[in-house]
Amino acid sequence: MNQPSVIHGPHLRAGRTTRYIMLHVSISLIPALLGAVYFFGTRALYLTILSVAACVLTEYLWQRLTRTQTTAGDFSAVVTGMLLAFNMPVTVPGWIIPITAVFSILAVKLLFGGIGSNFVNPALMGRLLAMVLWPGLVMQYTPPRTLNADAVSSATVLGAVKTGNEPGYSLLQMFLGETPGALGETSKLLLLAGFAYMCYMGIVNAEAALTYIAAVLLLTFVFGPAGLFTGDVLFNLCGGSLILGACYMVTDYVFVSRKGRLLHAAAAGVLTAGIRIFSVYPEGVCFGILTANCLAGALSLVQKRHVYGTRKA
Amino acid sequence: MGRKQNLTFPGGIHPTDGSDKELTANAAIRPYWPHTVTILSEQTPGAACRFLVKPGDRVKEGQLIGEPAAFTAAPLHASVTGSVLSIKEVENLGRRGLACILRREEPHTEPDAPYLREPADLNGISREEIIRGIREGGLTGMGGAGFPTFRKYEGDRPAETLLINGAECEPYLTCDYRLMLEESLPLINGVRLLKKAAGARKAYICLEDNKLPAARRLQNVIEQTAASGIPDAEGHLEVKVFPTRYPQGGERQLIQTALSLEVPMGGLPLDVGVVVSNAATARAAADIVLGGIPLTRRVVTVTGQVERPGNYLVPIGTSAEDLLRLSGGLKAQNCRIIAGGPMTGSCAASRRGGKDGLFYVTKSTSGILALPDTAYEEQPCIRCLGCERVCPAGLVPYQIDFACLEKDFDLCERLYAGECIACGCCSYICPARRELTLRTRLARDTVKQRQRERKAENT
Repeated sequence: MNQPSVIHGPHLRAGRTTRYIMLHVSISLIPALLGAVYFFGTRALYLTILSVAACVLTEYLWQRLTRTQTTAGDFSAVVTGMLLAFNMPVTVPGWIIPITAVFSILAVKLLFGGIGSNFVNPALMGRLLAMVLWPGLVMQYTPPRTLNADAVSSATVLGAVKTGNEPGYSLLQMFLGETPGALGETSKLLLLAGFAYMCYMGIVNAEAALTYIAAVLLLTFVFGPAGLFTGDVLFNLCGGSLILGACYMVTDYVFVSRKGRLLHAAAAGVLTAGIRIFSVYPEGVCFGILTANCLAGALSLVQKRHVYGTRKA
Repeated sequence: MGRKQNLTFPGGIHPTDGSDKELTANAAIRPYWPHTVTILSEQTPGAACRFLVKPGDRVKEGQLIGEPAAFTAAPLHASVTGSVLSIKEVENLGRRGLACILRREEPHTEPDAPYLREPADLNGISREEIIRGIREGGLTGMGGAGFPTFRKYEGDRPAETLLINGAECEPYLTCDYRLMLEESLPLINGVRLLKKAAGARKAYICLEDNKLPAARRLQNVIEQTAASGIPDAEGHLEVKVFPTRYPQGGERQLIQTALSLEVPMGGLPLDVGVVVSNAATARAAADIVLGGIPLTRRVVTVTGQVERPGNYLVPIGTSAEDLLRLSGGLKAQNCRIIAGGPMTGSCAASRRGGKDGLFYVTKSTSGILALPDTAYEEQPCIRCLGCERVCPAGLVPYQIDFACLEKDFDLCERLYAGECIACGCCSYICPARRELTLRTRLARDTVKQRQRERKAENT
């Protein structure tokens, strides 16, 4: 009986739904996934499928059990699952994947209210959990099989340089992805292809990604290892997971106002660069972005908003 | 800052690709005089009139049949010559209200007058005569809200600028475009009348750049008027063309675009020296003041999922059902029949596709639009901030949405919910299909009600 007697406009809706956005983000990750299979073998594919399945199933079961609106079909859990797998080395034991997937989806996303209400990136939190619980298992990288090297564990390029060794790989190898590293982070070329696809579809905040990259590169250049202005820009850009973080993590929707987003990206960049320069961790992308996520609320306060009609004459 | 050059408004959307307007952009206005008309006592919700006729009375077209009984009401006139069939309650867009049903017994004849063909000499007409004319002629805004036009003009403060709103930014609608194209001469005469009534120095006729033929036509007529040799004290008249973007034709957005001014919060356009009237209103003003024909008819676009979309000149009170039949009926099974445009129009919720939920043309009905009846399921907000980006009022609709769902109207007020213009951009853009416009409008109405109550308590 309480039905409204009249339906007001708008009667037109944009075609771009949550599902559409997340579906195309998933599609944009496929080149990097293919790259991972090429460099690290079919196990990369199995791990990714396992991760995606665990994420989607967790979301579906939880929403069925709690009888809440089900959003398991909106592909956001697929994106989380893919990114989670992309952050793991190919040697990771299979059982770690579902544990981190359940943690990411249940503890980080669903318990905070589900899609849109998580205040940090679920995939990054999942990686953080795995790093803390099983550092020996998830931070052990093997060289790509295309190099015909022995499958012994080795440091990432950034890690090698951090400990004072030679990187051991050329810049081109880094760009193409022929380096030790996590599944989806190594091939900058394929990540950028996915990013270009998202830009073409208009579903990504390219400004935030560029701000993040610019902040990291600027600071690591200025405060270089051998004194001021000695940082290696291209090495910092291609050596680690900076591009993965910029394209898929910083741009994730978080609680931050529209103009606060650039500030959020810049803060993530400063934090990442700080970790790279001053801490024992070579990478910093994960911590930097997660910390910036936590600052998002404060950063939103910075923005001045103009409401029509409130301009002082 | 370059505020003066900043000829735009913030936010806004492009809801369609423009093919929607092409359905009827070349459909010349055709008159249609139905056998019966149903004239609603409330032409807009709350604007009640008292009927002065009883069943059986003979009425002539243009005869006064209802006098205003509310601040927002305007006099009602018989729109056909014939007899009063009945005065009874009818349902219209989900509201029940009194209506006067007239049967047409004589064919409509269109009088011919010089003001339709040539620039009119307005020097013999005083500002007071024009204002009295548009008041007694029942002129209301024909673009949307349907507010009595004379109230914008009757104040003692003269306006600096008159803006004639020909933006017609709603998709699908072309009635104003056709009017500006086909009846540009009486329209310009009407603009000059309104300009005199407003006491304005300049008048700008504002169009979007998808209506260039109309803009050129109006420009020609303005030049013709200037060259006609009429002792013309009316001064500056100009056509302005802006990039197409919705909601360009929102009164406040148009002022922002055309003049780089903002109407202060809680204020009226006159506070910044502006009066805005719709192009169709200006055309009707010429009929009333120069032709002696009260507001008894208007142009309506019938479009969307109908066999033969078109533009029709119809008497007030024509039923949507008649017009849909005239347009060859519906093309699809499940349609919602919308009164007005797709962004701000409304349709009855009951039996959307059936005959019951239909409505009658009022003074402010610009279109009858059949669109596929799509149901949407609301999803959780993903904080994409699309709503914030497109809001022309500078609000953050998703935050107001949450506050409204929590019934926290203090927070709604702090978020400026009272400034919502209900343009629909936020709901349009939302990827989670949230009913942002619905709840922001609700928050706005509640906030405004509370502000009024507080004001009443303080005095």
